[in-house]
Amino acid sequence: MTTSDVLVQDLRVLLAQKQLPGGGWAALSSSSQPALEPTTLACIAFGPEFQSVHDRATQFLLRIQNSNGSWPVFLGDNQEGSWVTSLACIALHDRIEAIPEQLKGFAWLMDSAGEESHWLWKWKFRTTDRHVRFDPDKFGWPWVPHTNSWVVPTAFSILALNRRCACGPDAGSSRVELGIAMLLDRACPGGGWNAGNGVVYGVALAPHPDDSAIALLALTQRRQEPTAQVSLDWLERVAPTLSAPWSLAWSILALAAHGRPVEFLVQLLSSFLDLEQIEDNSTLAVACLALEYQRSLAAFGVTA
Amino acid sequence: MSINRRDLLIGTAAVAAGASVSLPFFKLQYNTVRRPARSRVAVLREESYSHGIGETLFAGLQLFPLDVRGKNIIVKPNLVDYIAGAAINTDPLLVVAAAECFRRLGAKQVIVAEGPGHQRDTQLVLSESGYAPILRDNRIRFVDLNRDELIQVDLRASYTGMKRLWLPKTVMQADFLVSMPKVKTHHWSGVTLSMKNMFGVVPGSRYGWPKNILHWNGIQQSILDICATVPVHFVIADAVMAMEGNGPLNGTPRWLRSIVLADDLVAADATCARLMGMDPSRIVHIHEASKFLGNSCAKLIDQVGEAVRSPGTPFQVVPEFEFLRHWPSSPWTESSPDELAYQCKDK
Repeated sequence: MTTSDVLVQDLRVLLAQKQLPGGGWAALSSSSQPALEPTTLACIAFGPEFQSVHDRATQFLLRIQNSNGSWPVFLGDNQEGSWVTSLACIALHDRIEAIPEQLKGFAWLMDSAGEESHWLWKWKFRTTDRHVRFDPDKFGWPWVPHTNSWVVPTAFSILALNRRCACGPDAGSSRVELGIAMLLDRACPGGGWNAGNGVVYGVALAPHPDDSAIALLALTQRRQEPTAQVSLDWLERVAPTLSAPWSLAWSILALAAHGRPVEFLVQLLSSFLDLEQIEDNSTLAVACLALEYQRSLAAFGVTA
Repeated sequence: MSINRRDLLIGTAAVAAGASVSLPFFKLQYNTVRRPARSRVAVLREESYSHGIGETLFAGLQLFPLDVRGKNIIVKPNLVDYIAGAAINTDPLLVVAAAECFRRLGAKQVIVAEGPGHQRDTQLVLSESGYAPILRDNRIRFVDLNRDELIQVDLRASYTGMKRLWLPKTVMQADFLVSMPKVKTHHWSGVTLSMKNMFGVVPGSRYGWPKNILHWNGIQQSILDICATVPVHFVIADAVMAMEGNGPLNGTPRWLRSIVLADDLVAADATCARLMGMDPSRIVHIHEASKFLGNSCAKLIDQVGEAVRSPGTPFQVVPEFEFLRHWPSSPWTESSPDELAYQCKDK
């Protein structure tokens, strides 16, 4: 057993201890409010082979789905829907009993779009609001309804719809293509992605490692795109310097998905992962995913 | 002059558009008036960030009748992102100094809390900006407001029309909340000071990174709704090294060598605006907030620190906010003509 294998076991034990009685996980260890992001990531990290924990997490996800097919950010949130719907669809992918709920989730994702897709806002961004540089014809998904498309919710939605599209060509493919076009349009000039636009007020924004990594995960079918290559080169340079497990873990997943070497990054993550200090359950789950990156990429529907 | 049908249509559309933008500010949009009769502000001189900053701050806090004994205090810095060499965050030395001062004054607990607006990886922002080691060394707990437990709160103003927001339990249950902004210009709101700093309490996990819903509902309006709802008890503004130009991330560092303390966030922001060479009455959220939240009129502010004048050259701003700089340099205790026309006129 390698060091990282032992660490994965420890991480799973720790995560299992933090699972709330209702089957979900809170965002922070100090909280008892079940939230969707840590729950979906933990659900993917455990996989169906850890039946008890996975079953309880699955039941929690199925129980709190909104009637419109979306998922709320946390238990008790409003019913309109949010960005975590894509993560819930990915987390439920291998559960046959959850196919109806997944289909409702996919349908909601198909209806959801950044507000810049509306003709009025397209006109605004083309005429009066020119401080942000982007093409409003290329839109993806917002964090919450009635706002712009952003990189992370768009990337997760592409990953979710790709899993649906894997069953055969359907209307989801065109939205995926549009989402990919949006990601390519909004990359930072030197590679990588910020939260949204790459340029504001004529100034190139600095890329964020985690946003860039998640965008690159969604672009594995476009790995020959110059934007993807430049961004991969940037992430490969930056990853060894990262001092936080969340960004490093996402970087490992993205680089592995594009066939770049990551073993030394896995060792780096293992070396500074202080389990006692990490209060954020999503970070614990993503660290677990990164340490078992080959299995995790399959769960995201990504082939290296 | 003849007006044809096309002119009339365009004119009507223009009037309608103008009305839709300006009408919200003519309607009464706050539930209660919480403006104190008078406010107190202290401008402290501080040459640079050093370990002596704590003594300066402690002496400054003595100028206020603060009783924080036994209270749970939340210190909310402006921690947005990290860019090497850029003065974008409240300096960690000042934040830790504030925590230590409140401990010396008998606080039960001091927590530093923030929800970075641009970066999802809060731990990365903390470590890259120098916060992580200094908080750890001083045994100060940090709460990530982007991921804290949330409670639904009815807004106490209706500038955005949002009615309610999910806000962090840590902030809403604090006994004493301190806004610690970095004094900067802002390309969407003109300035970002103690009021705009409260955007950081809006949770990213619920509303996204950045908190785009606040932009869609109007930045100035959102500032007003949040500040009407979240009770800020004190302000410690970092104006030692400020930022001008294309803030809040890509501006230019500018030394002001000051720390601004205040028991009223509107008075704090009005004073900071004057230190930047700007007319606070022309900054929409300060102007509106002075009707119900606090005092911006210099006549209503007891200045208990050093007398500091506005700079010879006002802060650079993006072209859209050039009008903020038109107030001629004068002693900071004076009010501009625009100010005299509103808040000061009845005093």
